Amino acid sequence: MHKWFSLIQLFVVCGLVMGCGSSPESDTSDGASATSTNAGITIALLPKLKGISYFTSCAEGAKQAADELDNVELIYNGPTTASADKQAQMIDKWRLQGVDVIAVAANDPAVVSESLRKAQDAGITVITWDADAQAADRSFFVNQATAAAIGGGMVDVMANDLGGLDAAGDVAIISATATAANQNEWMQHMKTKLQSYPNLKLVATKFPGEDQNAAFQDSQDLIKKFPNLKGIFGISSVSFPGAAEAVKQAEKTGEILVTGLSTPKDMQPYVKGGEVKTVVLWNTLDLGYLTVYAAAAIRSGTLKPGATEFTAGRLGKKQISGDQILLGDVLLFTKDNIDQFDF
Amino acid sequence: MKFRREGSLLVLVVLLSLLAMLFDSSFVPDNALDILINGIPTMIIACGVMLVIVTGEIDISVGSLLGLLAAMLGLLSSTVSPGLSVHPYLAILIVLTVGTLIGLGTGCLVVFGKVPSIIATLGLLIALDGVQDWLMGGGDIKHFPQQLRNLGTGTRIPVNLIIAVLVVIGTGLLCRKMAMGRRIYAVGSNPSAARVAGISEAKIKLFVFALTGLLTALAAILWVAKLGNVSTSTGAGLELKVVTCVVVGGVAIRGGRGHLLGVVLAVILITMIRTVLNFMDLGSEAVKWQRAIEGVMILVAVTSDHFTQQQQTGGSA
Amino acid sequence: MKKFAYEFVLLGLIGVVLASAAILDPLFLSQNVQLELSSEIWELGLLTLGMTLIIITAGIDLSVGSAMGLCSVSLGLCMHANLPAWLCGLVCLLTGLAAGAINGTLVAFIKVHPLLVTLATYGMYRGFAEGLQSATTNAPVDASDGIKSIVTGGFPVIPVLFTALAVWTAILLRRTAAGRGLYAIGHNEEAARFSGIPVARLKFLIYTYTGLLAALAAICYSARRSATAEAGMVLELDVISAVVVGGTSIYGGRGRLIGTLLGVLLIHETRQFVDWYWQRSELTLIVIGTLLILAVLGHRFLFSRNPQTQ
Repeated sequence: MHKWFSLIQLFVVCGLVMGCGSSPESDTSDGASATSTNAGITIALLPKLKGISYFTSCAEGAKQAADELDNVELIYNGPTTASADKQAQMIDKWRLQGVDVIAVAANDPAVVSESLRKAQDAGITVITWDADAQAADRSFFVNQATAAAIGGGMVDVMANDLGGLDAAGDVAIISATATAANQNEWMQHMKTKLQSYPNLKLVATKFPGEDQNAAFQDSQDLIKKFPNLKGIFGISSVSFPGAAEAVKQAEKTGEILVTGLSTPKDMQPYVKGGEVKTVVLWNTLDLGYLTVYAAAAIRSGTLKPGATEFTAGRLGKKQISGDQILLGDVLLFTKDNIDQFDF
Repeated sequence: MKFRREGSLLVLVVLLSLLAMLFDSSFVPDNALDILINGIPTMIIACGVMLVIVTGEIDISVGSLLGLLAAMLGLLSSTVSPGLSVHPYLAILIVLTVGTLIGLGTGCLVVFGKVPSIIATLGLLIALDGVQDWLMGGGDIKHFPQQLRNLGTGTRIPVNLIIAVLVVIGTGLLCRKMAMGRRIYAVGSNPSAARVAGISEAKIKLFVFALTGLLTALAAILWVAKLGNVSTSTGAGLELKVVTCVVVGGVAIRGGRGHLLGVVLAVILITMIRTVLNFMDLGSEAVKWQRAIEGVMILVAVTSDHFTQQQQTGGSA
Repeated sequence: MKKFAYEFVLLGLIGVVLASAAILDPLFLSQNVQLELSSEIWELGLLTLGMTLIIITAGIDLSVGSAMGLCSVSLGLCMHANLPAWLCGLVCLLTGLAAGAINGTLVAFIKVHPLLVTLATYGMYRGFAEGLQSATTNAPVDASDGIKSIVTGGFPVIPVLFTALAVWTAILLRRTAAGRGLYAIGHNEEAARFSGIPVARLKFLIYTYTGLLAALAAICYSARRSATAEAGMVLELDVISAVVVGGTSIYGGRGRLIGTLLGVLLIHETRQFVDWYWQRSELTLIVIGTLLILAVLGHRFLFSRNPQTQ
């Protein structure tokens, strides 16, 4: 009994001690314990999630860049699901380990905000890539395309493939979860863009989550329910192949077009088969490459706020607009060019 | 009434179909086959999990196991790097074997290690998920040989449906006609009596876990054949769906009771809910509540059948 | 002393993790790092308090993570509407109580098996959280200054609250009739009922208590990150793991809160260190899953003389 009470006391004391220290306002920890020496810059690259080709190819490009720059050490890790909370935990650990740069593709700007801010306060360079965080939480954003360009681009591509401004018919969007931040942003812009095509009608939006079978089932159901369905937007890496497969199995290849964001390799069979005419993306290898070059340059002071352009290795000169480093245009992959790309 | 649960489920299936027909008069003929096919992985695994639950255990690792086996199948048979491009039939054989062995391993943990099955399979759910992610190394697996895809699509005859039906019939025969089936129910309903009767609880439990592993492998193969794609999220959440179907289907969570027919109807019901909701003109706002609606329906199903069981047996179930 | 043998084993395991850290990367053990990383522990800890009580009665609650998400969303909506901090918190707590009470009613009074109930509410609460968020703000809500200052301000509210609740829960289990009642329910519910123990009432209360804890965890999480429907995602697995690793038997009737707390600490330190040193998310999953199984195997092997009856 006595022992038991002392254990409780021990825990109470530990709890209070830990508690007193963990509040940021009273945190008097000094800055990042590792300073960037000339000997090396540690860059931590954080994707939205780890297991999909999109980010794996970005990481490949990033590794190329790290190899070219001889004083850069690249750390690549990410959550296994698109969890902003797990990202925040990783950012916190990297801060404590004293990395020099953290480059984040944020799953959700609000959730990672405090972790990023603390990292900046500790002297770490924070930049974002692919998906931005709140502007105050990072110094630069390596941007491949704005949400408007992505959402609008997908709609333009679909309309174009369906016949241009007079394109007519029903379209549907298959997203991921109802709360997925990026998809929601794109959808907003898609809906705006659709207004410029008066004869295209958005008839349904579906949220199958990350479940491929559900995405397939939803697409299958929509194909049956809407006989005038002409296009499906598969705007997640799970729903895009699911929708294309459903169109194929319903034998509507060519009658219903599927488009969305994907790496060319991932959708290549469907592009060849005709379910997909155009895949929208950008060069993900280049995105990762540019991010690492930018990270190293910002850290070493070569790239300062206010600069309007920046030379990134084999990519040459890249434009900077405000605090956004621009990769370049959206790329469209079709039957004609899809074999040229190795990602 | 012996088939009260099955009766309620059948009524629900009919009601849902009628509801759907309000929106699309040819709902049933157009969709029945597809609904059945979409429910195949759930159905096949549910046959195994049902038997596990009947013996008084549970297996919540099946989702992660399916994902892992699908990834394995992908790595073995995919014609594009990093696939090893092994002959599809060999790949299938390997996957079936590994699935059975993992199932057997789970059984050993429960029977010999005496780890409670919910904990053992919870641990496996977490760990196997990690193994799947590790194996896949960062990208979807695609480009499966046509021989494999033929099991799911592309041919006139729905091979996967036939396989599923055979599994269901086989499980049904096992339960009703074979001695093994009677022993499974005996172990679940009264373990001490079963022991006295000379039934080896260990052997029965090892059997049902191994069988579940085998069936999960089969489901993984058919899943991959149908969708042609394996991602890191493949299989996620499937265990909850399967367990839900099994218990809604009338299998008592404490073991010893339950009919396969109920489980079959439950799988059909739960698979068709999604399609029915898709056919209803829910509008873009309501669609965001789809998951909540499904949750409520399951809660009602799980609770209401408890009422009917209470009335039936006149006591706590 | 022998009574606490398993707890000492847990302490030993924690020691092993910390010793490995000392060898591989001592920075992990520095006070600063440990303090920072400890912020992850409070939500898990809060939820395990209720889960321990539930599992002791041979019940289970799979919906704690989803309830946390629902509470977080309700908190977020209040903050979004610029309601005063105390009102936001109150709404959040009420949401948690309601969620717990629904579980409790179904388990205790309608007598549906807790696995079935919480399996259903797991999906339902998360579905409502997602639906509510996408129908209103359609994005996570930053914690309001009021909430932030309470939770992360100078006074360590959450750790003190957690410690107080932990002590209270421990005393409840060990020193009160209610606590003895919970153990009795876990051992043999029918016998407990016949002994005059208010089984239904106790069961109802522990599920409701867990709902309240989920709301507290939601407030903590929302202040640190933001109020979102994703709060507590997959957390229920960690909670159950911590309780079981802590020595509470899933069959009920056995378990100590101090064991749970050590289980929480062990899982926390293990996960944090594996993440810290190897930096591969897949590996962390494998380690935690294996740890859970090994812990139970070990407990069985070292301590059980009688096979547990179900």
